Amino acid sequence: MLMAVVTFSLKDLKDSGISIEALKDLVPRIGMEIEAASEDEVAIDITPNRPDLLDFTGLIRALNFFSEKKVPKENGYTLKDSKAVEISVTKNVSKIRPYIVGLVARKVDLSGDKLKYLINFTEKLSDTYGRKRMKFSTGIYNLDLIKGNLTYDAAKDKPFAPLGFQNEMGFSEILEKHPKGIAYGSIVKDSTGNIPFLSDSEKVLSMIPITNSESTKVTNATKNLFIDVTGTSLASVQQVANLLACSLLDSGAEVSQCMIKYDDSEMLSPRLEAKEVQVKGTKISKTLGIAIDLGDAITMANKMGHSAARYGNTLLVKVPPYRLDVLNDQDIIEDLAIGYGYDNISPLPIMGFSDGLPEELREFTDSVALFMVGSGFSEALNTYLTNERINSESMRRAYKKGETVGIAYAKTENITMLRTDILPCLLKSLSYSAHEKMPQKLFEIGSVFSMDNSKPLESHHLAFVSEHSKADFSEAKSTVLAILNNLGIRDLEIKKFDDKAFIEGRCAQVASKGRHVAVFGELHPAVLSNFNLEEPTIGAEVTLIDRITYGA
Amino acid sequence: MHVYEEKLLKALKSNGVRKLDELGALGMGTDSILWAIENLLKSGAIKVVKSKSYVATITQEGSKDLTLFPEEELVKSLIKSGKKADISSIKNNIGLIWAKKNGWVEVNGNSVSLTQAGEEIASGAKAYWQKDILKLISKDDKAVSKLAESGDEQLDNLVRRKLLSIKEKETISDVSITETGLKMLESEVSDEGKISSMSREVISGRKWETQRFKGYDVDAAVEPIYPARMHPMHELVNQIRKIWLNMGFVEVSGPIIESAFWNFDALFSPQDHPTRDMHDTFFLSNPSQIDIDDITLLNKVRSMHKKGWGEPWREGLAKKALLRTHTTSVSARYIKKFANEIESSYPIKLFSIGKAFRNESVDYKHLAELHMTDGIIIGNNLTLANLMYILERFYSKLGIKPMFKPSYFPFVEPGVEAYYYDERRKTYIELCGGGIIRREIAKAMGTSKTILAWGMGIDRMMFNLLDIDSLADLYKNDVDWLRNRGNLKI
Repeated sequence: MLMAVVTFSLKDLKDSGISIEALKDLVPRIGMEIEAASEDEVAIDITPNRPDLLDFTGLIRALNFFSEKKVPKENGYTLKDSKAVEISVTKNVSKIRPYIVGLVARKVDLSGDKLKYLINFTEKLSDTYGRKRMKFSTGIYNLDLIKGNLTYDAAKDKPFAPLGFQNEMGFSEILEKHPKGIAYGSIVKDSTGNIPFLSDSEKVLSMIPITNSESTKVTNATKNLFIDVTGTSLASVQQVANLLACSLLDSGAEVSQCMIKYDDSEMLSPRLEAKEVQVKGTKISKTLGIAIDLGDAITMANKMGHSAARYGNTLLVKVPPYRLDVLNDQDIIEDLAIGYGYDNISPLPIMGFSDGLPEELREFTDSVALFMVGSGFSEALNTYLTNERINSESMRRAYKKGETVGIAYAKTENITMLRTDILPCLLKSLSYSAHEKMPQKLFEIGSVFSMDNSKPLESHHLAFVSEHSKADFSEAKSTVLAILNNLGIRDLEIKKFDDKAFIEGRCAQVASKGRHVAVFGELHPAVLSNFNLEEPTIGAEVTLIDRITYGA
Repeated sequence: MHVYEEKLLKALKSNGVRKLDELGALGMGTDSILWAIENLLKSGAIKVVKSKSYVATITQEGSKDLTLFPEEELVKSLIKSGKKADISSIKNNIGLIWAKKNGWVEVNGNSVSLTQAGEEIASGAKAYWQKDILKLISKDDKAVSKLAESGDEQLDNLVRRKLLSIKEKETISDVSITETGLKMLESEVSDEGKISSMSREVISGRKWETQRFKGYDVDAAVEPIYPARMHPMHELVNQIRKIWLNMGFVEVSGPIIESAFWNFDALFSPQDHPTRDMHDTFFLSNPSQIDIDDITLLNKVRSMHKKGWGEPWREGLAKKALLRTHTTSVSARYIKKFANEIESSYPIKLFSIGKAFRNESVDYKHLAELHMTDGIIIGNNLTLANLMYILERFYSKLGIKPMFKPSYFPFVEPGVEAYYYDERRKTYIELCGGGIIRREIAKAMGTSKTILAWGMGIDRMMFNLLDIDSLADLYKNDVDWLRNRGNLKI
């Protein structure tokens, strides 16, 4: 699960009435986690379903409701006059980043840490929920420095001074030199070479979704804001505008709508309509396993920021517009459980008989493992992920590219494929313990992978190795025969086998009824050197199940 | 007294002081003699005189130089280039340093010229002393001790050049019996005629009826043996299986190579979710795709995504082949399989345990490959309180009392996380995540039943169960560790 971490000052929290003790108690109760706390700051992990908590105002709001210091308003949020700013959208953006919405906020207080929190909030939001600005991103502008109405357009190049720069640069230069241009440029590079931008009647305000202009920069003293949200999904940009509007309203600002004008349509944003969800009373207790009456359920809903009312046997819940995660009654029922307190729910046994049953495959491999331990081999477990050097080259074996299961990309450079055999893994294990007392005998049972007619094939192998000064072919053969006898495999045909991993003439293959069963022998000195082994070593690879088929 | 000790003491008594290398004639192996000496020294029965000696090993580099030292190579090449060369043309730096030190060449500014002494070496008229010493040592083991004792300076040079490594060794040269030893031997005389070792003859010849057995020193040191053992992770996996089986769960399993469909889409994970990035998940290059044969299911999952996430859903992304990132993919497959059984077979309780893969940067607590266990219960009227009960029962068998808090996973609602307070590490530790499978998923899988689901990684339990510092140590299979590790502390 991917979480976003937000950091707030303890002093700011305290000024808002939340002590560190209260925070430590409340944060886990609402499903989040305190990642770290120092003397003056606290870092909180926020799960991806609750972007509203990435914001200082949003967190305080949630904690105040949860601790019942405040009760959600029934009639929700109120906007000021409408149509504060007009944004015209041109056709040039339709194939790159078609949607824009905006909002205007007046009498905003950005003093102290408040500007930082607002910027962090929008950045985290665009980074997580907005998929690193791909799905949506936001821009914050000083409204008082915007002249006239706005145009959302796209062009190859336009001069403007990006944030942090005093001189004008072109779009192409920003893509090359500006840190945000380098980081996010690829999102808007399309075949036409056009880059989306927002401008007022005089100048470029931002290159989207890269950077705003220096000319409309917001400071701690800024009182009036214009915020845009652009993206590839209309639903997302509208939701995000709602989220930001609620946050600004709850911090005491006045918010007004913007008019978005397309060629053939118009739209107002933000809308701040509360979603209504109905939850059946019986459904609540049937899901949570607690007896709860609807009167209590209203309190639980309030603790989670919803206003709620009872209608017969049904709970009517008004979901505030900042709650982007609520899809239907299931999500409300979870909120009620959180409001009720997970630690107040008493665990209840399940009725109905059921019979435990182990899986046959596992019982089988377990019995083979027991046999091997009884034969004096210690069990090793290696990773299935490996690379050609260990799996093939060190064994003097060659696999064609299409025959093995390949990993497309690994962060660790020594991972390129899934193992085809267990033997190389065991030789690698022996390489760590050259100084230990001989004989050293290891076995492993596990999956190996290959390709069969361009379909992946998972098999179960057993491999063993024995390293000591007198290890020889006959020891390998005796052991293999004992294993096969135990497995009940009869009619063995043992033939000389050509496998470069073993010494020529000291390697054999066992088949039964025409099927390959095992290969064993004395490992070739070149192979031993590849694994830094200095004592004679024998090994075998036995196929236990050549094709695993699963039950579902 | 052990028979070896007795033998040795007797020999020392009859001959007085003995040289160690003469003791071989007693018909005992060197190890046995040394073992007897060590025991007798402890009981004060003998005295030894120790002497220092040196053992030399010629390094790989040194054995190359036995044929030609770099400085020899240099003077030979100077002969070819007219006894002079530009310093920049000489790549053989080691050779140059030593040739200069030995007075075989002179360096004036940028020019290197051969001296009389150098010419003599190059022509073979004179032998090179470093080489002579190295040769001597390679042929005669004892030479090094003599040279070391005389404080030969060239020997130091060879060691410094890493051509030779010299170890000091303390060896026993003379052994003699003490008064205590003589007394011990006298008292041992009474053992004469006693049976020393058991044999067929002793048993079937009924010798034990007439002769007594010689006693052993029961406190004497013995060779350690290392019985073979299961791997600790196998033990833990079986422990966990046993718990689920005892709780009435049926064990199931599923493929490791999986489609994004079963790993993500069927579990309502949005297609643009960051975990579906190649930086978090191992996607495969071969095979790159796995087909989804059940078209009805495919379409149901498609509409679940469209409705839930409001985004277009791409079949191509669902077909991508990957290594499962959790065993929850197995649970998804079984929700589908057991969607419509006869009513009396519910509740169906299943668990799986197996490997899952994460494209992680590996460190002490992150591996790219981990073991997970997942469980589901499919049935009627199943509640969050039921899930808590199951998890509480499970963890109590591992000696852990879990607590519960809300958490988020896209496939469950409500979601729950179990955690506990670890007394040893003085911190809260996450145990597992779970919840009630979203109705949308159950519907897409074709069932109207309620499904409780949970999953957990188990590798990290090993930090408490075995004293390890890094998860990577679990899969190195160091033989010493496999032999000497402690038992799982369950």
